[in-house]
Amino acid sequence: MGWVQASLLVRGLSRGWGSICSTALSRAATTQVSLQAPRGLHCSAVIHKDDVSLVPRPPEPQRKPIKVPVLHEELFTPSATGEKDKASFLRALRSFEEHSVRKRGHVDFIYLALRKMPEFGVERDLSVYNLLLDVFPKEIFRPRNIIQRIFVHYPRQQECGISVLEQMERYAQVDLELLCCGAKPVLGLLIYVSSRPECWDYSSFICTGVMPNTETEFLLTQIFGRTSYPMLKFLRMKLWLTRFKNINPYPVPRDLPQDPLDLAKLSLRRMEPDLSAKVTVYQMSLPSDSTGTDPIQPHIVGIQSPDQQAALARHNPSKPVFVEGPFPLWLRNKCVYYHILRADLPLPEEEKVEEIPEEWNLYYPMKLDLEYSRSGWDNYEFDLDEVTEGPVFAMCMAGAHDQATLVKWIQGLQETNPILAQVPVVFRLARSTGELLTTSRLEEQSPPHGSPRDQEEDALQAQPQQG
Amino acid sequence: MSGCGFLSRGAAALAAAATAVRASRVPRIFTGTHRRLHTSLQSCSFAKELFLGNIEQKGVFPFPEISQDELSEINQFVGPVERFFTEEVDSRKIDQEGKIPVDTLEKLKSLGLFGIQVPEEYGGLGLSNTMYARLGEIISMDGSITVTLAAHQAIGLKGIILVGNEEQKAKYLPKLASGEHIAAFCLTEPASGSDAASIQTRATLSEDKKYFILNGSKVWITNGGLASIFTVFAKTEVVDSDGSIKDKITAFIVERDFGGVTNGKPEEKLGIRGSNTCEVHFENTRVPVENVLGEVGGGFKVAMNILNSGRFSMGSVVAGMLKKLIELTAEYACTRKQFNRNLSEFGLIQEKFALMAQKAYVMESMTYLTAGMLDQPGFPDCSIEAAMVKVFSSEAAWQCVSEALQILGGSGYMKDYPYERFLRDSRILLIFEGTNEILRLFIALTGLQHAGRILTSRIKELKRGNVTVVMESIGRKLRDSLGRTVDLGLTGNLGVVHPSLGTIVEEQLVLKRVANILINLYGMTAVLSRASRSIRIGLPNHDHEVLLANMFCVEAYFQNLFSLSQLDKFAPENMDDQIKKVSQQILEKRAYICAHPLNRTS
Repeated sequence: MGWVQASLLVRGLSRGWGSICSTALSRAATTQVSLQAPRGLHCSAVIHKDDVSLVPRPPEPQRKPIKVPVLHEELFTPSATGEKDKASFLRALRSFEEHSVRKRGHVDFIYLALRKMPEFGVERDLSVYNLLLDVFPKEIFRPRNIIQRIFVHYPRQQECGISVLEQMERYAQVDLELLCCGAKPVLGLLIYVSSRPECWDYSSFICTGVMPNTETEFLLTQIFGRTSYPMLKFLRMKLWLTRFKNINPYPVPRDLPQDPLDLAKLSLRRMEPDLSAKVTVYQMSLPSDSTGTDPIQPHIVGIQSPDQQAALARHNPSKPVFVEGPFPLWLRNKCVYYHILRADLPLPEEEKVEEIPEEWNLYYPMKLDLEYSRSGWDNYEFDLDEVTEGPVFAMCMAGAHDQATLVKWIQGLQETNPILAQVPVVFRLARSTGELLTTSRLEEQSPPHGSPRDQEEDALQAQPQQG
Repeated sequence: MSGCGFLSRGAAALAAAATAVRASRVPRIFTGTHRRLHTSLQSCSFAKELFLGNIEQKGVFPFPEISQDELSEINQFVGPVERFFTEEVDSRKIDQEGKIPVDTLEKLKSLGLFGIQVPEEYGGLGLSNTMYARLGEIISMDGSITVTLAAHQAIGLKGIILVGNEEQKAKYLPKLASGEHIAAFCLTEPASGSDAASIQTRATLSEDKKYFILNGSKVWITNGGLASIFTVFAKTEVVDSDGSIKDKITAFIVERDFGGVTNGKPEEKLGIRGSNTCEVHFENTRVPVENVLGEVGGGFKVAMNILNSGRFSMGSVVAGMLKKLIELTAEYACTRKQFNRNLSEFGLIQEKFALMAQKAYVMESMTYLTAGMLDQPGFPDCSIEAAMVKVFSSEAAWQCVSEALQILGGSGYMKDYPYERFLRDSRILLIFEGTNEILRLFIALTGLQHAGRILTSRIKELKRGNVTVVMESIGRKLRDSLGRTVDLGLTGNLGVVHPSLGTIVEEQLVLKRVANILINLYGMTAVLSRASRSIRIGLPNHDHEVLLANMFCVEAYFQNLFSLSQLDKFAPENMDDQIKKVSQQILEKRAYICAHPLNRTS
């Protein structure tokens, strides 16, 4: 990348600090202002940054402010069949090439096509991106001499090319779970994130998305040449995306199961670290139409590990156990809710000190009864304050979050955990789901399921009705 | 560390003369007087002292000897037994049929092999541990018979000899010694291997207090199908000193005739297929109270004693097997021709013979040294030494049998040759009588416990300002700096127990190394002692012994250096953290987690 540094240096010398701000590493400041700012020559790429939303839900195109005059919109209007799929998208591409043989306005067209891709469901299709790049006229934008190479040659086109690559990268799947699972950020990841201001909100993320291939490389060399910014972007993607692809030690499958029961099983398995834990379906969901007037029966799936079972068996029956929830769990762009069965932390005096029985190991001493007479100086450990929480005995996911459903879960659990018959079970159910409670209360004082994110969960519940 | 150095240096110098003597502090131990084995009174704590950095030379130099009478006595036994094993025992048939023929068993009984260690007044041979070890060498020619006999007398009836009262001994031992009754040791349960607390078998006292009602199942009981007398361990309710009722283990002598004793069908095993291993079930078996072995509630100690005492003989058994293997494979190597040369001319084949001889020599030395210690009057505690012998010999057996098979190449793999059977038979050695992992922990922890008690008390004295102790410590430091004593490097720079030893019980990797070092040290001591004796009394081929001793000592010395450097937590040789991390990651996923080498990301 020697030439990049050289060109940056030259640009820095010639244009001063202001232009350097437009280079990749310092786009943060411009991101905010450039939304309204007129599109300058060197920050035109920035204008489309507002499309960048790295939240797991797919960006909604209609919400985005459309700055570009809608030149070729008609090409993307649904045809007679009304189908929006890959075929019609490709048809649009082809008709653009027929429409303007000299490819006039191809930059605007490409920006438009990029925005339309999610609508047509081709945002993860590498071949479509390659075809989109193919729209660029070849050989024209390639720098031919040293001056062109140093100064950005055809900047608007180059930035359009970068946008295509960025969109490929953006639809790389973003796993917010990484935030929770605490994957160690690698240095490269940090560098990469710092080069992408739009990701600064997310301390770590992961891409498993559209990886450019050799055809992309070939097209880029044809269009912009080897020493161009899209090519640089391409090389960076090649370098980093492969490294990030498998960085999540707890990957979520790309296509989540549609059946809420399977989804619940998957989520429970994901939350429970113990591989010996058993998933039990306590109740299958019954479709409403088959049962007629009977109330719909939501599904109930639970998970419990042998250790949890043993811990529950040891639980002091005079102390209550609590069913708590619903707590949200995000799987890609889906949110599911789970409940836990837990107890309070036993009081210190109640805790049975686990003694090493005198006659335990037939072969070797289990502890050396030595008096070390240690003083504070002999303690090499750091002073850590650990807050211990009460034990969790089981988890479940149900189609409904009401007490009636959860009672059925507890009844089911009772078969394998007879102690539950003696233990008082207290239901501490939040009226809504997690953090959304505050917003819904503040804004509209609406019933719990009224908040927008609950729709998914409602959909989950509703599915048994429909199916 | 200088201890290893001392041993190795001594070993290297042995070829010239017994220089080791000069390096040690006792000026003349080879004075040539014939020491009577049975007259020494000092207690046996060689291994424990080793943990404090002392080599208790009195116990190990000179190498224990038996008197001429005893020697001719044992030779009288050995002759017919050897003849019987070479001529009449068909090991291949035993292995194939999974059963020892009745007439073979009868002959074993008539030879008295079922009562080798039963005292003479009860009809046994009453042999000492040394002689028992000698017989073990012969018996080892067949693995199944070895195990059957060992299960009978090393553990099965050992309890009666060790803790049985007069009536019990008089009642049971004669028939057991003659082989009329076969004994079995019933400790292992489905849920309880070395964990005594999880024993489920229960004995409840009947209302008339005359019987215990025994209920439960035991698994993997050797001789379970043949035995008529069982040493059974079961939980009983015992009133504690503070009046509370506790579950404690009690040992019982159970006759099959008591009723309710059934056994499953013999298990199909990898090796020692001729021995009978099966489940034994006790259902409402009524055991008279006089059949309690030892005290009610004292079964744990009984079990520990029996297990600890039975181990040392494995050394001689394996040595016997190895000696036999060397003969067999040498025969092959000297006759098989490749490229017009005998196999014996190839260096890589020669190496294997040297290895086998070395291992056999070391374990022989260790076994007879330990046996000699055990034969001293009183009840010397040689459990650590015995465990060391067991660990060393079982691992050497596996390694050497595998090398012997390798000498044969493809033929070794075939059932036509006995090597595959030896290989299968020897695999159990690393597992039974306490797995080697557990025994390593036993060796290290028992030793550390001993050393820790002494050293912590010394520290306390120092802190209290006891002048004599302070002076003693300073004096010792001074002497150490003058290089006159042996510091084995096991006690840290200050000669005190390191504070981090509080969690030593959990540091199994460290304990393994400590045990390995100690096993090597013990092995070195044994070979040095034996080789010195051979030189001194002019045994045939003692120069060969010196070579073997030297080879082992040098090898063990460097192994020890490496292990010692690994003991340092931050040494580059110490990979413990990485080892733990790798295994944690694997166990978390319960699979091999590396990506396939053919995988791609783009």
